[in-house]
Amino acid sequence: MPEMKEGGVNVTPLIDIVMCMIIFFMLVARIGVSTGADSTIAVPDTVRGSRIDDLGNTLTLNVRADSKGNPLVTVLSHGEFTAVGVEESRNGKTVNPLADLLRECRKRNSDFKVIIRADREMPYQCLEPVLLACTQAEVGSVNFNTRVATP
Amino acid sequence: VKIRGAKKIHYDSGPNMTPLVDVVMVILIFLMLVGQFGGMQHYLRSSLPRSEKGLGGVKAPTALVPDEPLDIRVDSSGDGKWVAQVGSRIRTSDTRRLTEALGQMREELAGTGTSPQSVQVVISPGKLVKYDVLIAVYQAALDARFPKVAFARSH
Repeated sequence: MPEMKEGGVNVTPLIDIVMCMIIFFMLVARIGVSTGADSTIAVPDTVRGSRIDDLGNTLTLNVRADSKGNPLVTVLSHGEFTAVGVEESRNGKTVNPLADLLRECRKRNSDFKVIIRADREMPYQCLEPVLLACTQAEVGSVNFNTRVATP
Repeated sequence: VKIRGAKKIHYDSGPNMTPLVDVVMVILIFLMLVGQFGGMQHYLRSSLPRSEKGLGGVKAPTALVPDEPLDIRVDSSGDGKWVAQVGSRIRTSDTRRLTEALGQMREELAGTGTSPQSVQVVISPGKLVKYDVLIAVYQAALDARFPKVAFARSH
């Protein structure tokens, strides 16, 4: 047998596998793309559900209850989460900035969709005004964001 | 017979793979940590009821044939316990039982010629019912193969 010098470990299979994994992650992962979802909100788990492929036509409303039990809705605007009021009283008049925002989005985009990402522990009284604003703005598609649960 | 060159020292003088493996491993770990994967979350599509009495009071188009309503009333006692009621027959806190009961109702409706596509399931929750519970009820309606599910005003 010929004498081998600097034999070492054969790294070729390792590189093959690692390269395959890199290509997989590069294809599957969405890096630097934010859907506007607040990752601190714990959403419910469901087995059922479908994917939304055209996330560019969506607005994610992050909904949770504030310390007083009122709804706190935030949307991603210019890289940071901004609170949007729901049914506020200004100068004796009741205004709904969320409904106005949704109405404006719907006018600009006919395929506009709303994604509601709400806290699982939140009571319905916090979700109701958000759904009301969606209906007032005549948003055709409302989707509840959930986490994939194993059946 | 001695093979010529059998005793020769072979120098494994291929390219040095160590820096490549280092860099590739760093890229792999970076992608695994930073990447967001679409497969971890999905969406339940709601069909908001368009009726004059519905949420928001938006008027229905005149040509619209209203769907057959199927109301699910959900109440909470405040300590996390809840109960769902459909008509006077079904009253349960178990989502599996609710799915079975709704499935039975779907078959009964099909027997009268009403397709599930023309039935609007309306979940009517109490103010304090948790969102988690509502989504479980919502899923029970979808499991019973009612495609149109929406929320109504709280009671």
